[in-house]
Amino acid sequence: MSTGRVRALAPADARERLVTARTTLVRALVGDRLGLVVFLGTVLALGLTWRVGVFINDNYTLANALVALADGTVVVDDAVYGSLDAPGMTVHEGRPYGRNYGQVAVALPLLWALGATTALADFGLVFASAWSLLLLAFAVQVGRLTGRESACATAGAVLALAAFATGAVLAEPLPERLVPLAALQLGSVLATALLAATVYRLLARIHDRRVGVAAAVGATLATPVAFWATIPKRHVTVTALLVGIVYVFYRSRTDEHDTEALLSPTGFRALAYALVGLYTWVHAGEAFAVFLALALVDLPTAPANDRRTLAVVGAAFAASLLPFFLTNVAISGDPLRPPRMLSEFGAPSGGGAFGGSGASGTEGGGGSLGDSPGRSGGSAPLLPEPVRTLLATAAERLALIFGPFVAGAKAVVSDPESLYRTVVRAGYDGYIGRHDNDQAINLSMLESAPLLAGAVALIATGGHRARAALGRSDGPTLGVRLRRSARTLRSSQIGATDALVAAVAVLFTLIYIPRLPLFAQVTVRYLLPVYVLAVYALARQSWARRVLAERGRAVVWSYLGGVLLGAQLIFVVVTVGSFGRGGAFQLHAVVGLAVGAAFACSGVGSALDERFDPATAVTGGLAAALGTNLTALSALVYFRYGPHVLPAVDWLADLLASA
Amino acid sequence: MDRGRVFAYAAAGIILGVTVLSGPAIGIVDLTTPRYDMSGLGEGNVTVDEVDLPSSVALDRGYQSQSYYLTVPDARIRLAAIDGKPTVAYGIDIPELGYSRSTTHFLSGGDTGWVTLSLREDTLGDDTVDAERYEGRLSLVLRASDGKTLLANRTVDVEVSE
Repeated sequence: MSTGRVRALAPADARERLVTARTTLVRALVGDRLGLVVFLGTVLALGLTWRVGVFINDNYTLANALVALADGTVVVDDAVYGSLDAPGMTVHEGRPYGRNYGQVAVALPLLWALGATTALADFGLVFASAWSLLLLAFAVQVGRLTGRESACATAGAVLALAAFATGAVLAEPLPERLVPLAALQLGSVLATALLAATVYRLLARIHDRRVGVAAAVGATLATPVAFWATIPKRHVTVTALLVGIVYVFYRSRTDEHDTEALLSPTGFRALAYALVGLYTWVHAGEAFAVFLALALVDLPTAPANDRRTLAVVGAAFAASLLPFFLTNVAISGDPLRPPRMLSEFGAPSGGGAFGGSGASGTEGGGGSLGDSPGRSGGSAPLLPEPVRTLLATAAERLALIFGPFVAGAKAVVSDPESLYRTVVRAGYDGYIGRHDNDQAINLSMLESAPLLAGAVALIATGGHRARAALGRSDGPTLGVRLRRSARTLRSSQIGATDALVAAVAVLFTLIYIPRLPLFAQVTVRYLLPVYVLAVYALARQSWARRVLAERGRAVVWSYLGGVLLGAQLIFVVVTVGSFGRGGAFQLHAVVGLAVGAAFACSGVGSALDERFDPATAVTGGLAAALGTNLTALSALVYFRYGPHVLPAVDWLADLLASA
Repeated sequence: MDRGRVFAYAAAGIILGVTVLSGPAIGIVDLTTPRYDMSGLGEGNVTVDEVDLPSSVALDRGYQSQSYYLTVPDARIRLAAIDGKPTVAYGIDIPELGYSRSTTHFLSGGDTGWVTLSLREDTLGDDTVDAERYEGRLSLVLRASDGKTLLANRTVDVEVSE
């Protein structure tokens, strides 16, 4: 459809055709020029934190799988990095395989591109050079956006040259064997930048561009998304997919005929399911939770569920599942058996991922739905053997995939302390500490992203509304009102999107909550998508948007002050006080909780009375800044595991290490 | 074409040009050199006149955590003359804990006068530390052309504080 439009518009001139193609690509991927600025700005910011190296030993699994895939096979015979005995390696019929093949496959073209680039340019200088060029592009785009093209382009040219010159002076050689690892990291960085642009597009459409940009910055830089953006694990990739699903879902819920749109509402609806299909290729278990949430919200709220629409949606979904099925067939021979359901390469550890042979997934499934296979077999004794086997298998699989939700719901009720330690205060735990070199480096969600505390004000807003609703005692009965709000949800594009976000957040949390708190999470990385969804919830609050619109300057200055001065202050305290890594993380935790609490209080205040707005602006800016500080100081000071891609940052990190 | 555009194209041209010209395909100039030249480490000679080792070492309970941080104050040495790139390893042993750690410092040409040597802090588990005080041994080992020499060693108290 989009190509048809391009062809129709493109004049014969090849240059203009190129421009049209570029415009279409920009529109499809980042929306508009401001979206492009958000994208470029995110890449630039993440570039500052990027180190080429292995942060956590299951990075080996993906890096080795990528090297194998580049050689044209899914069998990981050699450990180019580390050892094959890394978490996440799986074995089927004696042959080792990786996992998250969707993420690995995306990195493959990046590996080729990076390989071609390093044939021409020195690997140690490639990133400095690319970063400088992106800085120039960023300045030019900002110039076009603000109408000061000449001034911004000049400033951009000077800054880019200065950045490049610094890089060239300080550049050190990087070993070529790190190219595949860097390609995998590049995939994560690009996914994060797309995530930021998508958050911007979603909220710019729901509200305005200011809210869009603020939410994009809040979701990526003020949460651990930035922390995990350069670490080649699945978390940011799936978060980007999830935000994409929410965005296209929002676009699918309109009945107005939008001539500007690249896809029809049904097209967007099909795309939402197609993104879920691609999600399965990265992590099938999580994708199932997302599918369930999407189907639960989509089917009742869709403008039409006629046979033709469902056929289009179904076909797109089926097509998008193909890579997942084909990869599984290539590995286990069973299209529904992803690598995570095979046996682990090494001794099974407590860290086994959801859906794998790790304890809780299977345990939960067996406990809650264990009798289903027997019942289905028993009630149908006349069925031929193959059908019975099929039913038994289906029931077993269903138990496996629904089990986690049941187990999650049980865990929330039976073990609220774990929930508290996951969300509010993690503290030090002997069992977790032993797995993390005796360091208290696992933070809770609020400790790692104090901005999330603002979501507490949701309760105040809800209470406010409930009181207003209850006040009208002469109104219709509760049942009538419930039915009416269900109808509103169906007709409201925003209401349906809110419902989808809430459903995904709940189901996603449920599948992981029985296993948390866990070691090697650092920032509850399993729940990374929930951070972004919480920022969405915050941006949807009218008080937060009012603070942003009327006290925007205060928000920006407190954020910048909190990052530029706050990070230095924390560094000085940590260095002078000899805090060590665990102590430093706990300092972030305690300060984060204090600022988060202040933000939650003033946010509740703002929700009720706008006189609290100045305080909310300052606490909100600082809360966001603390999230950024954790990522920045982790990159520069706390975790050093490889050379920074930017030589100047590497030099700075060396300097700070000797302080 | 306005001035800003010219500057932007020129900057992009210079960045791309320099990157390609210094790349492996053309290689007019190599811009990536290791910041620290690691060749000839541990070779050369140095004259040390004075050594200053700290008298006590702290094993403090970590901030808001159960584990302990071992912090060893800096040692100092005064160098009268130096040539080549000798190294000095600053180490600590705590025999009762079966613990040993050292940090190696590279000395280079300009380093005459007092040089401060640090020992990176470390974390010890809650369950390993059970006494209130341990005996530790600090050592400074010089590695130069004539092999390894023990510059100084000293027995210190490792004070555990909660």
